[in-house]
Amino acid sequence: MKKYLLAAGTLVVLGTSGAFAHVTLETQEAAVGSTYKAVLRVPHGCDGKATTAVRVQIPEGVISVKPMPKPGWTLQVKKGKYEKSYQLYGQAVASGVKEVDWSGGSLPDEFYDEFVFRGTLAADLPAGEKLYFPVVQECDGAADRWIEIPAAGQDEDALEYPAPGIKLLPKK
Amino acid sequence: MPGKHVNRLAVGLLAMLVLLAVIAVPGAAFAHAALITTDPGDGAVLAQSPTQFSLTFSEPVSPLVLTLVQPDGTPLQLTAFRLSDRMVEIDNPQTLKSGTHVLSWRVISADGHPVGGAVLFSVGAPSARPAVNEAVDWDLRSAIWIGKVFLYIGLFLGGGGAFALAWLAQGGHSGQRFVIAAILCGLVATPLSLGLQGLDALGAPLARLAQPVVWQTALDTSFGWTVLIALVALGLGLLSLAGRSGAKLFALAGLTGAGAALAASGHASAAEPQWLTRPMVFLHGAGIAFWAGALVPLGLAVRRQPAKAGSFLRRFSRAIPFVAAVLAAAGIVLAVIQVQTPAALVGTAYGQLLLVKLVLLVFLFTLAAVNRWKLTAPAEAGETEVQRRLVRSIGIETLIVLAIFGVAAGWRFTPPPRALAIAAAQPASVHIHALKAMADLSITPGHAGPVAASMVIMTGDFGPLDAREVTLVLSKPDSGIGPIKRSATKPGDGSWRVEGLIIPVPGRWMARIDILVSDFEMVKIQAPIDIRP
Repeated sequence: MKKYLLAAGTLVVLGTSGAFAHVTLETQEAAVGSTYKAVLRVPHGCDGKATTAVRVQIPEGVISVKPMPKPGWTLQVKKGKYEKSYQLYGQAVASGVKEVDWSGGSLPDEFYDEFVFRGTLAADLPAGEKLYFPVVQECDGAADRWIEIPAAGQDEDALEYPAPGIKLLPKK
Repeated sequence: MPGKHVNRLAVGLLAMLVLLAVIAVPGAAFAHAALITTDPGDGAVLAQSPTQFSLTFSEPVSPLVLTLVQPDGTPLQLTAFRLSDRMVEIDNPQTLKSGTHVLSWRVISADGHPVGGAVLFSVGAPSARPAVNEAVDWDLRSAIWIGKVFLYIGLFLGGGGAFALAWLAQGGHSGQRFVIAAILCGLVATPLSLGLQGLDALGAPLARLAQPVVWQTALDTSFGWTVLIALVALGLGLLSLAGRSGAKLFALAGLTGAGAALAASGHASAAEPQWLTRPMVFLHGAGIAFWAGALVPLGLAVRRQPAKAGSFLRRFSRAIPFVAAVLAAAGIVLAVIQVQTPAALVGTAYGQLLLVKLVLLVFLFTLAAVNRWKLTAPAEAGETEVQRRLVRSIGIETLIVLAIFGVAAGWRFTPPPRALAIAAAQPASVHIHALKAMADLSITPGHAGPVAASMVIMTGDFGPLDAREVTLVLSKPDSGIGPIKRSATKPGDGSWRVEGLIIPVPGRWMARIDILVSDFEMVKIQAPIDIRP
């Protein structure tokens, strides 16, 4: 019995520390049609190495994205066409930022940092579902890819490198 | 003139024998065939009745018998199949009911020896395993063994004896009746062996010996050539004893035929490299015929007509060191090719038979050496006591030779270590198919220990997939092992490889392949793969 408890305890401890060790978003839910401030939390490097770049892919339906510059890091965006045109304050928006890169910095494994961008969640995003922001964390000669999106019915906790995501709430 | 005519006939026959031997050599050399993968896989549970089955072997094979045993135990013969390279595709003629089925197969590879096995799969859900008769037919095995021993007696004591009478005895007739009897033995045993081979090929009982399909099947195997050449060789031996003119040529052709018959089929002849093994088997066979064939006529000659036997003894003893050297050299070469490692001598049935044969050979060579260097000179000089010892010694030699025939015939049932090694080195393979990507994974060799994995990655609809990174993850949850994670490298031939992998235990492993399709997209596919012990 003691053994089982110990095993269960170990699992809980390992499980939670595993979840904390992922790259995640600070605010885990937001209403469609609202502006969302995404704070990417990077808790450690890749296998003990210092993080040198963080790249995030902007999912379809997140428009008018503006990243926050960060001292010591080079900020770049990749722009492209959206799959369709969106209405923003009465104007059609058909293209914009698809990827945000912070690179050239150095975040040692033992330190923590945050990377911030802001965007608008299109009003026609499906409320009640999850929206994922795949992140590639690059270190010197290594990379952790937080890009796994659970298949339908799959438990998110079973994923090794889950992509950070938010739950979409109904429009206010 | 008739003498010359007969000579020409003998030369023609000799040429024909050589030609037969050449034709009998297949274009490519193969060992025992080993089953690599099947569809459905062994132990698979299918949702629906399959429309076809496929068996993939380590080399091309010809199916002999394909039977599907249904859950209620009724067998269904599968007759519609296609061969494509190393794969046998079999049509399933009817919709299968749910339950566990056994696909029993029997195929033949180029060494002429049939191999068989069974694949178990279930439709819907597994049921009790239907009864399949996989017991060894010992009656048939004994019959095949006896047939083989008599074939050896015919070829070596008969064909070789005729050669000794024609070339060494030169006019002596001692032992002629024995030689004729040995040849007749061979002439009866040889065709019978063909029928027995047919039964073995089809996995049929002795009672079906009379059926034509049995004989037709046997003729289609490489053993058919051995039988044809042996019959011609035995006939030539008999001819050499009948007439005076051309006797020498007929007898020489008979001896050549004995070697060629052995070289036409069997483990040793089928081994690589062919340019070496087939001539070596030929020399080995012809050497045995020369030596063993001379023993009985020589012994009888020395006993009955000691005065006349002197020249026979002299000719034999002058030639035998060279013949024995060739015989031993060929035997050693073949043994090295077949056994490969000293450990296999003790560890395999084939090696154990070879050890028994070697012990017998030590006795035989000791006796032969004593005869040759101690007894021959005084016996030629006419010492009767020595002559009696020589006759007794030759008698014992003959018995040892017969025992060696018995041991060698046992090899018919033991795959050589060489073939076992080829089978062990075959990869374990699995085809993983998912909507977004698929992969052919093969782990070489497919048994526990140090291995290398090779993966070919494609899109779900068989298109090219230029992956950025591929990672192989092996785990064995039921043994608490894993995950063993290794990133693959691209050697440049379109595949992805993982070298220096160690699989600690055999059994069913879960293989997962993580394919990084683009910077932000990863596809993970997985399937179980069976690792042999």
